[in-house]
Amino acid sequence: MQRLLSEAFEQLGRARRIPWVDLLLVVGLAGLLFTFIDLGREWTGVHRPSIAIDLSPSALPRYTMFSLIRGLLAYVLSLGFTLVYGYWAAKDRVAGRLLLPLLDILQSIPVLGFMPGLILALVALFPHSNVGLELAAVIMIFTGQAWNMTFSLVHSLRSVPSDFREAATVYRFNWWQRLRKVELPFASIGLVWNSMMSMAGGWFFLMINESFQLGQRDFRLPGIGSYMSVAVEQGRGSAMVLAIVAMTTMIVVLDQLLWRPVVVWAQKFRVEEGGEQVLMTSWFLNWFRASRLIRALRWQARRIRRRFTRQPVAVAESAAPVPQVAERSAGRLSFLALGILLAVLAWGGVKLVHLLHQVPARVWGASIAAGFITLGRVLISTLIGTVWALPAGIAIGLSNRLSRVLQPVVQIAAAFPAPMLFPLVIAVLQWAGVSLGWGSILLMLLGTQWYILFNVIAGATAIPADLKEAARSYRLSGWHRFRTLYFPGVFPYLVTGWVTAAGGAWNASIVAEFVTFKGQALRAPGLGAEISGAAARADFPHLAAAILVMSVLVVAFNRTVWRWCYRLAEERFSLSK
Amino acid sequence: MNAQRVNPSKQAPSLDEPEILCEARHVSHDFVLPNGKPLRVLEDISVAVASNEVVALLGPSGSGKSTVLRILAGLIKPSHGDVLYRGQPLHGLNPGVAIVFQSFALFPWMTVRQNVQTVLDARAVQRSEAAERAEQAIGRVGLGGFEDAYPRELSGGMKQRVGMARALVVDPEILFMDEPFSQVDALTAESLRAEVLDIWSRKERNPSSILMVSHDIREVAFMADRIVVLGGANPARVRTVVRNELPRPRDYQSTECLALVNQLYGVITGSELPDVAPTAATRDATFIEPLPHVSPGEIVGLLEYLDARGGKGDVFRIAAQTNQEFGHLITVVKAAEMLNFVDTPKSAVILESEGRRFVQAPPEQRQKIWRAQLLKLSLFREIADVLRRRRKHSIDRDFVLETIVMRMPQEDYEKVFATFVGWGRFGELLSYDETTATITRYERRRSGEPAVE
Repeated sequence: MQRLLSEAFEQLGRARRIPWVDLLLVVGLAGLLFTFIDLGREWTGVHRPSIAIDLSPSALPRYTMFSLIRGLLAYVLSLGFTLVYGYWAAKDRVAGRLLLPLLDILQSIPVLGFMPGLILALVALFPHSNVGLELAAVIMIFTGQAWNMTFSLVHSLRSVPSDFREAATVYRFNWWQRLRKVELPFASIGLVWNSMMSMAGGWFFLMINESFQLGQRDFRLPGIGSYMSVAVEQGRGSAMVLAIVAMTTMIVVLDQLLWRPVVVWAQKFRVEEGGEQVLMTSWFLNWFRASRLIRALRWQARRIRRRFTRQPVAVAESAAPVPQVAERSAGRLSFLALGILLAVLAWGGVKLVHLLHQVPARVWGASIAAGFITLGRVLISTLIGTVWALPAGIAIGLSNRLSRVLQPVVQIAAAFPAPMLFPLVIAVLQWAGVSLGWGSILLMLLGTQWYILFNVIAGATAIPADLKEAARSYRLSGWHRFRTLYFPGVFPYLVTGWVTAAGGAWNASIVAEFVTFKGQALRAPGLGAEISGAAARADFPHLAAAILVMSVLVVAFNRTVWRWCYRLAEERFSLSK
Repeated sequence: MNAQRVNPSKQAPSLDEPEILCEARHVSHDFVLPNGKPLRVLEDISVAVASNEVVALLGPSGSGKSTVLRILAGLIKPSHGDVLYRGQPLHGLNPGVAIVFQSFALFPWMTVRQNVQTVLDARAVQRSEAAERAEQAIGRVGLGGFEDAYPRELSGGMKQRVGMARALVVDPEILFMDEPFSQVDALTAESLRAEVLDIWSRKERNPSSILMVSHDIREVAFMADRIVVLGGANPARVRTVVRNELPRPRDYQSTECLALVNQLYGVITGSELPDVAPTAATRDATFIEPLPHVSPGEIVGLLEYLDARGGKGDVFRIAAQTNQEFGHLITVVKAAEMLNFVDTPKSAVILESEGRRFVQAPPEQRQKIWRAQLLKLSLFREIADVLRRRRKHSIDRDFVLETIVMRMPQEDYEKVFATFVGWGRFGELLSYDETTATITRYERRRSGEPAVE
């Protein structure tokens, strides 16, 4: 279908010399501009105690655009954060020792942990307009996006090949040239893939982020997430289906118009030689490149840039600036920033201890017990996901045709925020008489199984052809082949899938164990329910305690079980050696 | 201010009295091992590069040649000793140097032109001038027409031409080349060598001098004016400096050139394979022979080679015929000598009676001979003793590592351990389980007869 589309557009572009491409582009830009103006009006609008959400289908496109722009703003914020924090953590080894574990902890905190403080602070900062609330929503989406990207950047910056580094030093690149010409290009492929994943992760809590309640106070913003939650509250099935369709459309459009072109563009940064792998193409990028308007704009931009880049003062070449001075001041800056960060952390720690002081022992006990119940659910959901996704993923990955067709579908399924499907599933569960205690496992599975599936697919496609041929030529039976080749081959990918899926399941527990359905609140005992319940009651000490328990459990699990799995995958099952 | 800048040193009347451009004086360098202990890799190295000359650092792999080059370039600060540039102590990068890397180190996301021009941007050269100079440099290495190609579209030889253009464009006084042709096919390397000399011989233009690192004896005989032979491993030392005053252009086949090649082979084999090998009796009891990092297969291969050629060979010819890197071949010969399989008078390698017995024996018998020879080495004897005494006939990897570290503090213990396990397995002396990191006595499954007599 893609080829069809791209051919059609090419035809359009060439036929009769009417610049269709450019016309469409102008229309698209105008639409985007209009949405921005509309959103600007909404942001600066007078803050009302509660916004009425219009459930009519005609209101949905506008809501979808609002949500989309919040997601994109959050992404821009994530990218900025990643560049600064990641660069800092990778370059300053001392700071990195604090910054990386901190990132690990931040990653384990569910969005509800950030929510109350953020909202109350930002709403207090902008009491008369919606800006505070909107900013809070954007930042909450950001907390679902940023951490993965930052980890990816740190990893890439630290693994820049040493000959690149030496060449940059010998030819006296300053830090900026080094970053722009060597380090960022090297990191870009990982960053782009993680950006896609992160953007998907950001949508997960959209329903909460756009319609949250703290105790008696109702903070609601117009968007597709709040549309859905109102539809659920009122039990309007048709509106729910419409919201799901709108969300899917948005994800597909974003994939085709943003991510795919970026992925294709980033292919030029691949380091490995050998042109064996099939390169991806993007109809939109081809189309974009063919546009005369864009070409003219780029030409103009280049001309302007030429004129305004300061002509370098002709320094005697051998007397190029001594890098040591710059290094020293960078060191000082890093030291100062680290000091400030430590002070903030200490202050936050004191506040947290004060807050936790009010938590009675009984609540601690309950939270810890609930933590283990939820851990059980997380593991069961990961197990169920593995049981079906492992064979399915291998089957898809081994078939060229299947993987080409299904891989994009799976990626989109993974990007779809599962909580939007919960109401439908719960209706089925209630009809079947399954309690939420077991049902919540299914809800978690809904969001996380895709991670396992598409990692296994990626692993199966990466199994070398010679090993597959060897297995076939020795006539290994199906089960034997699975045990000796396929399972070991995909294991490293499977571990990545598990880690992502389990992380997602912890997050999902918050919405899966505490569900409002047709006006009544259902809850299953578990840590997620503790957190949601405490947030709904605005019981901050309890909330802090429950989140601390979750954070400790997640980090401890990462550090022990998953790290062990990773090591096993690397030492025993790596096919790259 | 263009690429044809005149280099004063080249027009000065005192051409016969060259000026020292850069110099290392009594430099020693330590690497820090993972266990925190320093490992001395270079000991008392003094090298100088004068104007108008080509200096080569020659030595087997692992002799620290590339480290010396990086120290002179200012990329690595030596642990001891001084580095001078035009008589002044060097702080940071050497201002007169550009490097051509063994692995090319081209940025794959930049075209040929961008790769070359970007180093001028780093020096704040005006854009129009930079473009012109890049164009010239690309032309100088014969890549005109390839300006907009990406490195992945080029062959190894063409990539290295880009690497040279990138170095030449900054107009360096000294061109550093780190094994520049070792990843280029043989024919292309041949033409690149001649072209490098062509570029260097234009006396009115930079580079004034070239410092190259190589393990190829013929290459340095062809190119260099002075050849600094490094030898030994951890630490490496300067064995000798050989002057090469053959007139240019040189001919590989000329008798003088062949004689020089032979002389260099003699220097390397003489220092790496001393004719009188110290015997066990002359050593004190705590001494353990360092194990060369060589696989049993390579030793067997060498013995088979010798056996098929009347039991005698010349390292020089063996290296050429087996397409082996000379430095590594020397290590293999050394290992075979340790096991009493060969003897090495001068640069000849002769199969000893034990070696002949080994190579003509059936596989089962071979392992037995190998095992017997291993047990003459103190490290194997000691560990085999411990294995026999232990209850379950097993020891930890750490135990062996500690023995190695204690007795051979100068060696890379991980490598020694890997060799130890490889040789021991080959002789059915021991088994090693990687997951539990334990060494056990080898047990034959079928007969149950213990492997260690």
